[in-house]
Amino acid sequence: MKKKWISLMMCTAIIPSMLVGCGNSASSDTSTNNATTEGSKASDKKVEIRVMAYNAETTRATYLKLLEEKLPNIKVIFEFVALDNFNNVLNSQLQAGQGPDIIEVGGETRLLANAGYLMDLTGEEFPSKYADAGLAPYSVNGKVFATPLQSWYEGIFYNKAIFRDNGIQVPKTFDQFIQIQKDLLAKGTKPQTMGAQSWEPMMKQSIGLVNNDFYSKAENKGFDEKFNTGEVKLADAWLPAVEKWSSLITEGILTKDMLGLSYDQALDEFATGKAAMWESGPWAVNTIMEKNPNMELGMFPIPGSTEGPGWLIGGPGSALAINAKTSHKAEALEILALTATPEAQQALIKDNAGSSFLKGVEIDLGEIYKDSEEAFKAGNVYAPWTAAWISGNPVVEGYGKSLQEVLAGIKTPKQALEEADKVNDTMRESLK
Amino acid sequence: MNAKKRDRVFLFMILPAFIGFVLLFILPTIMSFAYSVTNWSVYKPNYKFIGLDNYVQLFTDTKNIAAIKHSVTYALVITLVQNSLAICFAVLLTRKSIMANMVKSIFFLPAVLSVLVVGFLFQYIMTSADYGLLNSIIRFFGGSPVNWLGNEKIALYSVLSTQVWQWTGWSMVIYIANLKSIDSSLYEAAEIDGASKSQSFRHISLPLLYPAASFNILMSLIGGLKVFDAVFAMTKGGPGYASETIMTTLIREGFNSGRTAYASAFAVVFFVIVFVISKIITFLLNKWEEKIS
Repeated sequence: MKKKWISLMMCTAIIPSMLVGCGNSASSDTSTNNATTEGSKASDKKVEIRVMAYNAETTRATYLKLLEEKLPNIKVIFEFVALDNFNNVLNSQLQAGQGPDIIEVGGETRLLANAGYLMDLTGEEFPSKYADAGLAPYSVNGKVFATPLQSWYEGIFYNKAIFRDNGIQVPKTFDQFIQIQKDLLAKGTKPQTMGAQSWEPMMKQSIGLVNNDFYSKAENKGFDEKFNTGEVKLADAWLPAVEKWSSLITEGILTKDMLGLSYDQALDEFATGKAAMWESGPWAVNTIMEKNPNMELGMFPIPGSTEGPGWLIGGPGSALAINAKTSHKAEALEILALTATPEAQQALIKDNAGSSFLKGVEIDLGEIYKDSEEAFKAGNVYAPWTAAWISGNPVVEGYGKSLQEVLAGIKTPKQALEEADKVNDTMRESLK
Repeated sequence: MNAKKRDRVFLFMILPAFIGFVLLFILPTIMSFAYSVTNWSVYKPNYKFIGLDNYVQLFTDTKNIAAIKHSVTYALVITLVQNSLAICFAVLLTRKSIMANMVKSIFFLPAVLSVLVVGFLFQYIMTSADYGLLNSIIRFFGGSPVNWLGNEKIALYSVLSTQVWQWTGWSMVIYIANLKSIDSSLYEAAEIDGASKSQSFRHISLPLLYPAASFNILMSLIGGLKVFDAVFAMTKGGPGYASETIMTTLIREGFNSGRTAYASAFAVVFFVIVFVISKIITFLLNKWEEKIS
C-alpha cells in the first residue's frame, strides 16, 4: 500500500512539472532573450541568421567568408538541404509558422510568395541593382520577392583527352552529337554516363534539345504563359524534340544500367575517365578536379537539330528570399544588400561559375566553358520550369520520373509528356 | 484501499503517457481526417470543404494504387522472409557452442545502424557501376551483372533484401529469448518418446514461439507498411514509380507538391489499410493461440 502511495505522489509530481515545463517555455525564452540582450550589450553578441539552401556550403565558401568579414554583427548559420528533399523540409517548417530567416528559392518562388511566406522586397534599394531578366522569375504582379544569385547552367562536360585521342570534334548539331557517341561506342569507349537513378538529368538533357528546337522559334514565345493556364500541352508542342532526344536511348547510348547509377557514381565514372561525357554544371568542377587533377575538362552546350550556338539548361536559377516571419528583418536585409555588390557577386562566382545579374559585373568564365561562349553570348540559357512555370518542380518531377520509365522501356516519350501535362493540370486545380 | 480507489490510482499513473498520446497521436490523426475533406495546400492557406474529392482522385490515380500494392507486397514479403530466417537462426544459435554468442552479436549488429546509413551503403554495394561489390562478386563467379536498383522489376526487392539483412538479427534475439523460456523437460519427454529433432521443433518449439512470433510478425508487418527511409535512400521511389510506396507518395504529394489535404487523405487510407491488415493478422494469431492452448 505504501508503495502505491509513493507511486501516486510521484505521478502527481510529474504532471505539474510537465505542465510547468510546457507553460514556462515562453517565460524561460524571455529570460534567455533578456540575458542575450544584456549579454549583447556587454560583448556585442552576434545575431544568428539561418540560411537554408540547396546548393552545398562548398559552393558558397568565399561568399560566406565575405559575409563574415563585412557583417561582424551577424553569424550566418548555413543549412544545406539537398534539392531532393528541400521542399519537404522547407514547406513543413513554413507551414508550422517557422523556417529559416533567409531561403534559397528557385522554381517555387511564386507559389511561396502567393501564399504569403516571403517578404516583399520591392521597397528596398538593392533589387534595382539587378537586371530585370534576373528579377522576373522572382516577381509577382510587379512585386519582387527574391534577388538572384549567379545564373546556373548545365551543359555537356567532356574529357578533351578522350575526344583528341579518338579524333572527335565538339558537335554542332544533335545528329553529330549522336554520331560521335556512336563512334566512341564502336571504339569501346563509354560515350556518356548519367546518374539516371535521379529523375533530373534526363529531364534536363531532353529540355536542352527542346530549348534548341522549340523555344528558339519566335512563334513559340509566350508558350509558357499559356502552359500555366492550361491552354497548351507539352505532349503536343514538345513531342518532336523529345522524340528526337530519345534516339539517345534507341541508339543504345543511354542504357538501362544508368538507372542504377547515382549522381555521385556517374561523376566518379566521368572523373576517372571511364566515360567521355557527362551532363552537369559548374558546381561539379571542384569535385571532378579533386578526383582527377590531370583532367582536361571542357563543356559544350546541347546542340540543336540545325547548326547553331546550342543551348544550355539554366537561368537565374536560385535566389535569396527573406522569410516573412523572420524576427531578424534588418539583419536579413543587410545580407541581401551586401549580396547586391560586385564584390559579393565575384565571391559567389568564384566557387560556382556562372554569370551575374547585377548590373555592371563582368565575368570571365574561363577555359572550361570556352565551347559554350557563343551560347552565352546569344543568351541561350533557359529552364522553363524555374523561369516561367507556376508549378515547375512537381511538373518536371513527373516528367523526369516518366523519362526513367521511357529508359526502362515501359513508356513512350509521348506518355512521359502527357504525365507532365497531367501533373500541371492537377497542380493548377489544387491552386484554384 | 478499496478496488475503486486502486483503479483510480492506476488511471492517474497512466495519465502523463495518455496526455502525450492524445496530443501527439490522437489529435493529429483526427486533424488528418478533417483536412482530408478540404482543398488545403501549402501554397494556398485559405481552404474550403470539398467532400470526398481527394479520395476520388486518390483512387483514380494508377500511381497511387501501384504504391499501395508495393507497400502491401513489401510488408508481406519482409514479414515472411524476416521471421522465417529469424526463427531458423534462433533455433540454430540457442544450441550451446563456443561461437554461438559471437555469431548472435554479429547477426544483431546491423540493427544498431541507421536505416539511412545502411541504405547509402547498399547503394554503393548494389550499384550498376563497375566497382559495385555485389556485381563484382557475381562477375568473379562468371555471372552477368544485375541492375539491382535500376531494374523496375527488382528494385523494390533489392531494397527489401537490405532491410531483411538489417532486421533479421533483431527478430532473432526476441525468438531466442522466447526459446530459452521453453521448459527443457518438454524436449526431454519428447526425446524419451522417440521424437526426432524436426518433430520436436514442429510440435514443441514452433507452437510455443507464439508470444515472440505474434510480436515480431506485427512489428515487421506494420514497419513494412510504413517503409520510407530505406526506399528514399536507395531508389527514391524509382526507377520511375517502380518502388514508390504509400509513404514516399504521401511525402511527395504532401511536401514536394504542397498538396497537404490530398496527402492527408492518403494518410487516412494508409491508416485504414494498416488497421485492416493488423486486425486480420491479430485474428489469425488468436486462432493460433487457441489452437496451442
